[in-house]
Amino acid sequence: METRHKVAIYAMMALVMIFFLGPIFWFILLAFRHPSEAYTLPPQLFFEPYLGNFGDTFVDPGNNAPQLLSSVIVSTGATLLSLPFALAAAYALSRFAMRGKEFIMNWYISLLIAPPIVFVIPYFILMSRIGWAGSYRAMIVTLQTLAIPFSVWLLKSFMDEVPLDLEEAAWVDGAGRFAAFIRIIIPLALPGIIVTSMFTFVFSWNNVIFPLALSKQSTTTLPVGTISFFASTGVYWGHIAATAVVAMLPPMIIFLLLGRYVVRGLTFGAVKG
Amino acid sequence: MPNRYTFQRRLPYLLLAPSVIVLLALILYPLAFALRNSFWFWNLQMGPAPLYYSGLDNYRMVFQVTPFAVALKNTLLLGFLGTCAQFWFGMGIALLLHTHLRGMGLMRALLIMPTTLAPVVAGFLFRYLLEPKGGVLPWMLEGIGFPVPPQGFLGNANTALFSIGLVDTWQWTPFFAIVLYAGLLSINEEIKEAAQVDGASGWRMFWSITLPLLRPIAAFLVMIRFMQLFNSFDLVFVLTSGGPGTASRTLSFNLYREGLVNYNIGLTAAMTWLVVIIVSVIINLYLFFIYRKREW
Amino acid sequence: MSKQGISRRDFLKAGGAAGAALAGASPLGNLARVVAQSDQTINVLTVGDPWDLALQSVTDQFSEMTGITVNIESLGYTALQARLVNAFLTQSADADVIAVDQMWISQYADNGWIRSLDDFISMDSDANFDDFLPECLYSLSTWRNQVWTLPIASYAQGIMYRTDLFEAAGIDPLPSSLADAGMWTWEDYFGILEQINGMDLDGTSMYGTTVIGAQPVPVVHMYSQLSASYGTRWFTQFPEAPWDFSPTINSDANLAALNDWKRLYELSPPESINYLWFDAGTRYSQGDIGMFYHWTPYFYLVNNEGYLTGTPSPVVDKTATAVLPTRTAGGDQVVSLGGWSLGMPSTSANQEAAWQFIKWATGSEAQKAMGEVNVKGYQFADFSRQSNYDDAGLNAIYPFLDTQLEMMKLGDGKVVRPPAPIYTSLEGVYGLQINQAMSGQVSAEQALETTQTLFQNILSGNQMIPYGVESFDDTLENTKALQASLSGM
Repeated sequence: METRHKVAIYAMMALVMIFFLGPIFWFILLAFRHPSEAYTLPPQLFFEPYLGNFGDTFVDPGNNAPQLLSSVIVSTGATLLSLPFALAAAYALSRFAMRGKEFIMNWYISLLIAPPIVFVIPYFILMSRIGWAGSYRAMIVTLQTLAIPFSVWLLKSFMDEVPLDLEEAAWVDGAGRFAAFIRIIIPLALPGIIVTSMFTFVFSWNNVIFPLALSKQSTTTLPVGTISFFASTGVYWGHIAATAVVAMLPPMIIFLLLGRYVVRGLTFGAVKG
Repeated sequence: MPNRYTFQRRLPYLLLAPSVIVLLALILYPLAFALRNSFWFWNLQMGPAPLYYSGLDNYRMVFQVTPFAVALKNTLLLGFLGTCAQFWFGMGIALLLHTHLRGMGLMRALLIMPTTLAPVVAGFLFRYLLEPKGGVLPWMLEGIGFPVPPQGFLGNANTALFSIGLVDTWQWTPFFAIVLYAGLLSINEEIKEAAQVDGASGWRMFWSITLPLLRPIAAFLVMIRFMQLFNSFDLVFVLTSGGPGTASRTLSFNLYREGLVNYNIGLTAAMTWLVVIIVSVIINLYLFFIYRKREW
Repeated sequence: MSKQGISRRDFLKAGGAAGAALAGASPLGNLARVVAQSDQTINVLTVGDPWDLALQSVTDQFSEMTGITVNIESLGYTALQARLVNAFLTQSADADVIAVDQMWISQYADNGWIRSLDDFISMDSDANFDDFLPECLYSLSTWRNQVWTLPIASYAQGIMYRTDLFEAAGIDPLPSSLADAGMWTWEDYFGILEQINGMDLDGTSMYGTTVIGAQPVPVVHMYSQLSASYGTRWFTQFPEAPWDFSPTINSDANLAALNDWKRLYELSPPESINYLWFDAGTRYSQGDIGMFYHWTPYFYLVNNEGYLTGTPSPVVDKTATAVLPTRTAGGDQVVSLGGWSLGMPSTSANQEAAWQFIKWATGSEAQKAMGEVNVKGYQFADFSRQSNYDDAGLNAIYPFLDTQLEMMKLGDGKVVRPPAPIYTSLEGVYGLQINQAMSGQVSAEQALETTQTLFQNILSGNQMIPYGVESFDDTLENTKALQASLSGM
């Protein structure tokens, strides 16, 4: 390739990177700015970092520290609960020829792209009636409407890649389907299971609508916590940025760890990547 | 052994059953709840329980007292424009990545960052950047002579919805880019062969070979993103609250206002069913016309 | 940590220390009686308003006196509302004391979600119930002849203006008391705005005023003051019995008000169409607004540059307060009176401790202590008690208290924004229409006609027209009578 083509491509790519990463970088800087400098123009790239925003929100008084824990509980709970259901369904869809398979797969995906707000208000009433309102389990169970369909799709794509021969060899050796599933499929699909769990975790972590309506004071999650700084007397940008930066770290780290699986996860396994 | 055979035949259904039952329980309850209450007068501001049967009043009220038609128009506009922008912008970046110059791998890995953010965080981020007085984006745009509306991008009726679309585009274009890039990799060989046979120019090859080969992936991406945009709530909530006026109100935000601000459960239930019907029509049209050839 | 690095934590600590010091000096012996109930913990759910910061700063004082531990959580407005309705529906409120917006009282009371405080008040003379301004109780706390909450922060509305700008323009200072107000009308107000709009003050190009334009709630809060001053009433008859909720929102008075509101917006920064409450206050404190009216907390908030930044604003010592004008010279006035009060969920298991907290926090001493908190500027002057307005020390800190009190006494929270049971729905469509009239998407006439129709639809759809439930003659006189009877007078 000609050098001037290369230069042009790099120049365009630089613009792209600035456009997509610049805002995040700027917001992270905001978390370290003193509140009175949030809107200084022209913008100051270099300044004395201020840790008070993190101190206020996570240490003392630290109202957001319990929200961090709640986020971990809800996201982990939703992920673990979805796995057994999703493993069974994904195995069935991957290994058996059956009528209506396409319909079932479409049905799962239609749940995934249905407007969550439609479900929230009935859940809000339902959880009140059965006495689960405000509890972690209310959020964990209702998040399954997203977690199970997603995990089924993604897990199926991983199980499709485990060669049938291996499983059949195990049957020949006298193992039953269940034993073969445990001994062959699970270990071979383990990377896929881990990847799926991590994505489910991220999607649950980033979900705001369900906790917004279904949590209470002591169980609310961190992304919801950022909203409460949007008070009627003023936006305390330092606190918003500090909590938002902490809230964005786990998904970012997970995505970086997942590397080559990102494409597959984001397309629910439909694109292998 | 007939018993074993029957078991084997039924096994997949038995395996599917738990997830299907759980999901049915989780979605049938809300839908049945909404269907029943859409015919009842139930406003939590007036009393804690449904008061009386009200026929189709709630459905009438959806159109009479909420800007439902405007919200539907905004929602569809947001969905179409956002999806288009993200697809083409993402395609451009995918082609840049596909040059495989040194460093592209690292850039691809970092590029996905916006997509990892919770939409509510992305909303805050841009609310901060777009602040009319003191925000860094209006400051930069004014610096290069770009006309910034005096009310700010989020406060102007002509730019508010567009700005929401732009923030979503910022967040999700990387997703299109890396998925389409993966698509380009998977069809690499076919492109090369075609190019050798044809000797076609770059652009013609892109239009007549690359794009058609990417069609299955593109169809999937477009469906997913269109629907996610259709459901936009978090961004609207944080950026504009649907304003100014109804300029950026979406169906989801309309539902939120009636359900979780006004607590008119009956009215919200009626609106829920209208939205469910609209969504089903869209999904089924899409599956029927564009998506049905896909093999699972 | 740098000089600027005073964190919110330091702020709260210092405030707490100030409160404790005050406790030593104040006759708070009454509270000592409940020390026996130590080891109790109550949860308090509040809203992130300035009073909440001041309250948190002095709450240690209550815990020291009573041994009751207080967990305070403050939320945004919408989050608080969602949390409360959720908790009430489930009968599982995890709070013992809650902050209640005046608009929620009717709903919460009618549904039995909060309990009446009448018994507590009448049995507990420490409450000094007769000290409350009846207008505050009437606007924030009473419904159907019972007291449901006690006011913790009462807001009237009033004018803030730039003295240096007025001097430069050769305009006389505005009346700070009704006695001087004489012929002070909205037309005068607009005249001044037109004069000062675009003026150059020390190199700053000034806007005449700023509005709060964000829909739906903020714009209604500010617009309804102008509109009520012009004589607009929302319904045919409310709050006097018998209630008739047929809307009267498309009246000539309201049309005049909306047209003038659009004038007001033309004299404001264009981005103010999207302004929330604090945006307008912050804008004024940044120094390019000549005059505006707002809720009275901004009388002191505009002295700070931005929320909790600890930096004094450039307009300190260059700003004064004034009473609101009337539509016709010497004509009737009605002032928006809003704010927050503390109530007790019926489900609270710690009702006695909750009452002690409500009584303390809304009491004269705690309110004074809240007013004296000063770490990043003074944080609270939203008193609801006569004794606080008479307090020399508080008047020294907040020189505008006389003006504020006069506005309070003209206050009527049941007329300006009537707390009818479905107020939120009405406010939602009303705010939207005002906002659209401002942006020019619809004309003022269309906006009000649409509002009238929507009100009619919403009110009849919710069985408010005709009103089948028993009315209550909800007048200030009746609240005064209730106050006298509960005070044992």
